[in-house]
Amino acid sequence: MAALQLTEPMPRARSRFPASFVWGASMLALVVLAAAFGPMVAPFPYDQMDIMARLQPPGATHWLGTDEFGRDVLSRLLFGARLSLLMGIGATFVSLVIGVPLGLAAGYKGGRIDEGIMRAIDLVISVPPILMGLLLLSLSTPNVWKTAFAVGIIYVPIMARLTRAVTLEVAREEFVLAARARGEKLWYILAAEILPNAWPPSIVEAALRVTFAIMLGAALSFLGLGVQPPSSDWGLMIAEARPFIDTAPWVALAPGLVLCITVIAVNLVGDGLRELLDPRLKRGRG
Amino acid sequence: MIAYTLKRLLTVIAILAVMSVAIFSITQVLPGDVAQMIVGQFATEEQVKAVRGRLGLDAPAHVQYLRWAGALLQGDLGKSMMMDRPLGPLIGDAIARSAVLAGLSIVLVAVIGIWLGVYSGVRRGTRADRFISIGSYFFISIPEFFWAIVTVMLFTGYLGWLPSTGYASMDEGFWNWAKHIILPVATLVSGLVAHVSRLTRSSMIETMQSQYITAARAKGLPENVVIRRHALRNALVPTITVLAIDVGLLMGGIVVVETVFAYPGLGRLLIFAIEQKDLPMIQAGILVVTAVYALANLGADLLYAFFNPRIRYGRAAAH
Amino acid sequence: MKPADRDVPVLAVEHLALDYPAGGGWMRALDDVSFEIAKGRALGLVGESGSGKSTTALAVMGLLAPEARIANGRILFGGRSLLDLPDEARSKLRGERISMVFQDPFTSLNPAIQVGRQIAEPLVLHRALSDGDAAIEARRLLDEVGIPRPEDIARAYPHQLSGGMKQRALIATALACSPELLVLDEPTTALDVTIEAQILDLLERLRRDRGLSMLYITHNLGVVARICDDVCVLYAGRVVESGPVDEVLYRSKHPYTKGLLASLPRVDERQGRLSPIPGRFPDLASPPPGCIFQPRCHFALERCASGPQVLAGDAHAVRCWRADELAGTPWPSPDTPASQSGSQRDATASPLVETRDLAKQFQMGGVFDSLRLDWSGGFPLRFDPPRVRAVDGVSLTIAPGEVLGLVGESGCGKSTLGRMLVRLIEPTEGDIRIAGEAIASLSGRKLHEHRRIAQIIFQNPDSSLNPRKTVGEIIARPLVLFNLAKSSELQARVASLLDLVRLPQAYVSRYPHQLSGGEKQRVGIARALAT
Repeated sequence: MAALQLTEPMPRARSRFPASFVWGASMLALVVLAAAFGPMVAPFPYDQMDIMARLQPPGATHWLGTDEFGRDVLSRLLFGARLSLLMGIGATFVSLVIGVPLGLAAGYKGGRIDEGIMRAIDLVISVPPILMGLLLLSLSTPNVWKTAFAVGIIYVPIMARLTRAVTLEVAREEFVLAARARGEKLWYILAAEILPNAWPPSIVEAALRVTFAIMLGAALSFLGLGVQPPSSDWGLMIAEARPFIDTAPWVALAPGLVLCITVIAVNLVGDGLRELLDPRLKRGRG
Repeated sequence: MIAYTLKRLLTVIAILAVMSVAIFSITQVLPGDVAQMIVGQFATEEQVKAVRGRLGLDAPAHVQYLRWAGALLQGDLGKSMMMDRPLGPLIGDAIARSAVLAGLSIVLVAVIGIWLGVYSGVRRGTRADRFISIGSYFFISIPEFFWAIVTVMLFTGYLGWLPSTGYASMDEGFWNWAKHIILPVATLVSGLVAHVSRLTRSSMIETMQSQYITAARAKGLPENVVIRRHALRNALVPTITVLAIDVGLLMGGIVVVETVFAYPGLGRLLIFAIEQKDLPMIQAGILVVTAVYALANLGADLLYAFFNPRIRYGRAAAH
Repeated sequence: MKPADRDVPVLAVEHLALDYPAGGGWMRALDDVSFEIAKGRALGLVGESGSGKSTTALAVMGLLAPEARIANGRILFGGRSLLDLPDEARSKLRGERISMVFQDPFTSLNPAIQVGRQIAEPLVLHRALSDGDAAIEARRLLDEVGIPRPEDIARAYPHQLSGGMKQRALIATALACSPELLVLDEPTTALDVTIEAQILDLLERLRRDRGLSMLYITHNLGVVARICDDVCVLYAGRVVESGPVDEVLYRSKHPYTKGLLASLPRVDERQGRLSPIPGRFPDLASPPPGCIFQPRCHFALERCASGPQVLAGDAHAVRCWRADELAGTPWPSPDTPASQSGSQRDATASPLVETRDLAKQFQMGGVFDSLRLDWSGGFPLRFDPPRVRAVDGVSLTIAPGEVLGLVGESGCGKSTLGRMLVRLIEPTEGDIRIAGEAIASLSGRKLHEHRRIAQIIFQNPDSSLNPRKTVGEIIARPLVLFNLAKSSELQARVASLLDLVRLPQAYVSRYPHQLSGGEKQRVGIARALAT
């Protein structure tokens, strides 16, 4: 469509971002910045032990105290941010990349393809999420990528079902019929007519999935099936700090609180996105 | 309704059959020789072979599967490799203890979650509604394992009211039993209540806006009757689906909670099995959990059909 | 002096004004709305969607959304002011003395409760009947509204009933306690024409038999002419004209009423053109100055924009200062009727489109719907997908330049037939010839060519345009696909197509959601004509 010089700027309905979205986005930006640049500004290397300074409370040298090996909690938190976010985003990416095409195919082609894909998905869903992770991860020595992939696989069914539902709806729309009536190719209909209308709900769902993925990834690490020591994400940090919860609660509380804040931030952003993208919801709240 | 139930039952059986194959084949590709693991690194070749023969590991994979599945159908779950004990009673006891945890939790989740959701849904925009909404937002964002640690810190560490770990049977006194179960249940319930109440609230709000609610008001029915008789039944239909999903989340939560609180249930057994690479135990454990989950879903579907005449009476008259 | 009881109108709405919150302020949705309904009479409240008809009905029922605010006016029911009553007293009136039938029978019945119980509800509540007695009365009511086998229907769930049956059941519910006033909010809009006629017959009969007063809300002037004694025309929340049906519809004085009547297609006359009202509904948050209809009014003078208009006249009231002057003048046609000769069809020429014994069968449902339990013998589980014959043995011909109207109720197969002609749906039997060529077997380049000559314009303008594409992209796509324009000419071709359907050039960069329904349909037509 490059031939059409559409010089007039696209008249966009001005949308005020809700306050909760702004809060969430700023909190999330902070966490992402910490993950990106944290290791560079961290006061200590994440694995530097100091037996003389074990389980020290927060103070001038160690702002958030030290753990049972005398490692700096703040530094480990900053390093852990990267792994925790990677797991959340990586898993969501996996579920999008596999789930969306499956949903598109099932929703648009229907018939046997639909039946086949949906039954396969029913199967994956018939195992409770964490067990699916356990099953996939019990196979070999766990690491971050495997955990992210396993968590991603767990969420494929949700993405696929959602995309299928939206595709079914969009495929019934008359502009898709119009495209078929003028003989458009299958890929054009999927890519240019359906996908642009199907992605907003999928993206919103994906944004909200990131929180589940982060929590599930942390839970798996907590259970010893994710990140392996000495490197550490927030889930493993909490697990390692558990024995000292009475004497040195800061070691567990710091990653725990950061984890909660991240999850809340992503939820706020996801809900804000949903409100922006779904005019129906906006009216419902009005 | 009978035909529908039968169809759904068939699906459950099909799912279990396929899952048994999937579980078996996934554990087959597990790296490392199981027999080697049992006898230890320094065993001789003959010892390894002997163990392999004893366990039937020298047979081709499909024969092994058929043997395993055949035994399963006769109620024989196999034998734990590490503990060298039959899995049936082991898993049975664990399931019984987990079921107490899960049953109590899901009942509490349903009762509290639905009540909160309906309460805040019909009072949309009031202070109470906002309070409940914000509260559930936070509870949904706290991972179970962190929540578990915080409650232990509070109720065991600072207040010293409740034991942090372990299990006591009813025989050791009701209070003794209850003390051990309060924290695990509270941990499991917190996040799920928030989940259920949020979804019930939005479904309640949507239902209250539907035309038949206005029509019911136009008949002159008082508001509480409109809510009780006309709104609730329809608003709870999506909640049932949510509860079924939550049973799955609950099972995940149980794994975490049992590990944190050292509660001797199925979840802890499974983690133990995975840590020890105890193959038969992993297989049997996951299959049993899948079966329980599938049955829970079946129950939810039947409840759903019961609440939804469109399914109960078939789709013949649908447009 | 107190007037005698029979002179008191059943319902009187006086100078009702109502606001909704909009943005930071309030939007005046109703302003100075007044009308009366005497015992046994039916008043039609007419207007386009968004004119405030339904809001008026809900205000009468006391069922307004909580955010609505009544700014002024009174609603009198049998002389009693409803707005001064406590909530409890109002809800006692609802369903007992004032009842309402809603627009959409498909969503007005509770899907989870048996129809009979829903009809019995007001009887138990207001008449204190026992459940058993109420059930018997519910069956009698179903019989009264003309439902066959009332015993079975009473036990059925709403999804098992057709739309017409649902609406009858809802009317039965409304009549349960023998109300004095029945409020009907577009009760037939969601239904097919033949069902609509049946429901109107029923309403006429009920009114005669029971001496009911009715407030009938509709946008359909034909229905008003048939069923109402008086009519009240609403525009943008203001009554613009009211009076007896014969006066208002046949000697209309307000320009808006004239415009409404002129935009109705008529079966008995073959007019050259309809005469639409130009422009759009005003934004009520910032209404135009002076007369609210003035921006769209053909007869507007400068003075019309200066001050608000008042409703003047007694039996036949009009909100327009030029009313008497315009009394005999009709709404003008936009231009002279297009000559019929240009599109004169040539029935003798060989047909462009020809179908013979066309049939289509659909298979319904998925694998599980296809599985049937059958204990009559053999393996009890059968694979037997349910089938539906949507189109069966249709033969028709269309000559070049001829317009063929395909008429029928919803579900009769018209759309399926149309879609087979453009090969969106493959026929099960029979064949289609276009310009002599059998199109069912076309493929590859031949099919591509057929796609170019046979185009389709869809029913629903809201769904026929991709919301993520601009109007320019939408119209240009067929040109690109069929290589009909070089990229340098593309812009000019799109411009001329926009011109053809009388849309301004600026629309090239607009998105469908910024267009009104009519404008969207024009874009759809431009896209179909592009090839």
